[in-house]
Amino acid sequence: MDFLLSGFIKALHLLLNRDPSTWTAVAATLKVSTGSILASLAAGLPLGFVLGYFDFRGRRFIRTCVDTLLALPTVFIGLVVYAVITSRGPLGEYGLLFTLSGIAIGQIILALPIVVALTASTVENMDSRLRLTLVSLGAGKKDLLLTCLWEVRYGLLAAAVTAYGRVMTEVGISMMVGGNIKWHTRTITTAIALETGKGMFANGIALGLVLITIAFAVNMSVSFLRRK
Amino acid sequence: MNPGGPLYQLHNVVHCYNDTRALSIDRMAIPAGSVTGLIGPNGSGKSTLLKLLAFAFNPTEGEIRFRGRMAYPFSREVRSRVTLLTQEPYLLKRNVFDNIAYGLKVRKDTDRLVERVEKALATVGLPYQEFAFRKWHELSGGETQRAAMAARLILEPEVLLLDEPTASVDVESAKLIRDASLAARELFGTTLVISSHDWHWLYEICDNLLHLFKGMIFDSGMENILSGPWEKQGDKLYAKNIGQKEKIFVSAPPEGKSYALIPENSLSIIPMDAETTTSHFDNRLEGIITRMILQKSSMEIIASIMISDLFFTVRLSGETVRSLSLAPGVRVVIRFQKDSVKWL
Ligand SMILES: Nc1ncnc2c1ncn2[C@@H]1O[C@H](COP(=O)(O)OP(=O)(O)OP(=O)(O)O)[C@@H](O)[C@H]1O
Ligand SMILES: [Mg+2]
Repeated sequence: MDFLLSGFIKALHLLLNRDPSTWTAVAATLKVSTGSILASLAAGLPLGFVLGYFDFRGRRFIRTCVDTLLALPTVFIGLVVYAVITSRGPLGEYGLLFTLSGIAIGQIILALPIVVALTASTVENMDSRLRLTLVSLGAGKKDLLLTCLWEVRYGLLAAAVTAYGRVMTEVGISMMVGGNIKWHTRTITTAIALETGKGMFANGIALGLVLITIAFAVNMSVSFLRRK
Repeated sequence: MNPGGPLYQLHNVVHCYNDTRALSIDRMAIPAGSVTGLIGPNGSGKSTLLKLLAFAFNPTEGEIRFRGRMAYPFSREVRSRVTLLTQEPYLLKRNVFDNIAYGLKVRKDTDRLVERVEKALATVGLPYQEFAFRKWHELSGGETQRAAMAARLILEPEVLLLDEPTASVDVESAKLIRDASLAARELFGTTLVISSHDWHWLYEICDNLLHLFKGMIFDSGMENILSGPWEKQGDKLYAKNIGQKEKIFVSAPPEGKSYALIPENSLSIIPMDAETTTSHFDNRLEGIITRMILQKSSMEIIASIMISDLFFTVRLSGETVRSLSLAPGVRVVIRFQKDSVKWL
């Protein structure tokens, strides 16, 4: 057990001394996961609203498809994105392989179904009196969309946090599409995998601590927002 | 405030929920500036009719005209002149001020906003200082109802549709809501359509009372509806037990129908001590007058008569009331023949 404790102490050391390789991995994680979650929200909230609010033909089927996508393994997404953006793939010319943008594409594929599915079920469970109330107060289409989303803001916040957590902690996509290149596409999770493989527990634990701290900070700010 | 031409005209309107017919109206008109009351038992289609009048959705069939023009597809312009206070009011998840101001904000009409919100809240008896910045969940049921009412009043609507506005509030709040509805009519010429179980209020203020039953509209005379069960007493004779010992006798109900309508004009009323003969009526029920009210539109007197646990309503001329010395508290007898009963 000793090596765990000494690893922990050494980890604190690394963090406090601003070990550059540790902190670049942290920065890469924040950058790529925040970018992909924002893109997923921008696309996923309206899509989820449409899916949850309107009753159209084929809606059940689409819901089932989206729910299925929730179970996509990250290595599979990694594989598909790799195949598409590798130099011989259809998007090869953009040189996205082994870049943060490449990772972001995979993470958007991971997060989008989560955002869409959770938004849709939140909107589906919305109080049936809400629409009637808004219509009777004279709300137009745009007010209807925005006010409805605002009414279920806590549900949407939970969706966003769930998706963010999933994106930030995934390894498969970052590893396969990003290639774990030091100073460049190495993220917290791929770094942990590597350090552990090398027996460098301290570095692994240090990174793990950072990940937990970020998760904690995110959840704290969410519960603060809820209370407001 | 002269009631003008028709504001709404409904023609062959049918509304169904999942293939079950909830409303079916051949013809109906609501004059501008009038007060229309909707009376009917639970599930008779009152809320459905009000939602259609609020243009919340299209009727399954038929047409609704607003100021002579087809009302759908609804333009926002038309919808924004009409507002509905729903049966179970819903406040948006924001504070009371923002709830009241919402309708004005979507209309981009925010001059003197604070002043107007303050006034709207005062109308329903909610002091601004105390209530404006409470959150939506920090209000009681009755306060929620009044805040929702204020959110409608602030719009100075052309039409105000009220779905049982006084059902869940105490006497004092009910009075505030009633006064506020009439004030809207006085101040802005608002046309009112009100569904309520407070018959007395409706009789008192309405120019026009519509009775809804199983989704259909009847003009008047629908007050006395009795539901089953009807017990077989003999050949073509059925009865409903009321109270301890009294029975109402009817002839056999048609297959599948169990609601009996006793038309008002077939009821005769007489003070108990003035009754000379008790024969030749199939039904003779003893009761007491609980309330009498003047219906402004017809200048008739509406009397409520309690018979065991049932209430009967009888419409009387002032002359009859005077000659029979009828008044609340007077014991009376109601009589009618079983064959005058209609089945619904
Ligand atoms: N959303 C709905 N889906 C299915 N059926 C409905 C729906 N809303 C109302 N109904 C049905 O339509 C009929 C009329 O309902 P409505 O709400 O208009 O009655 P109401 O007169 O307002 O009754 P209450 O006095 O109980 O408020 C009822 O039989 C009801 O069960
Ligand atoms: Mg109703």
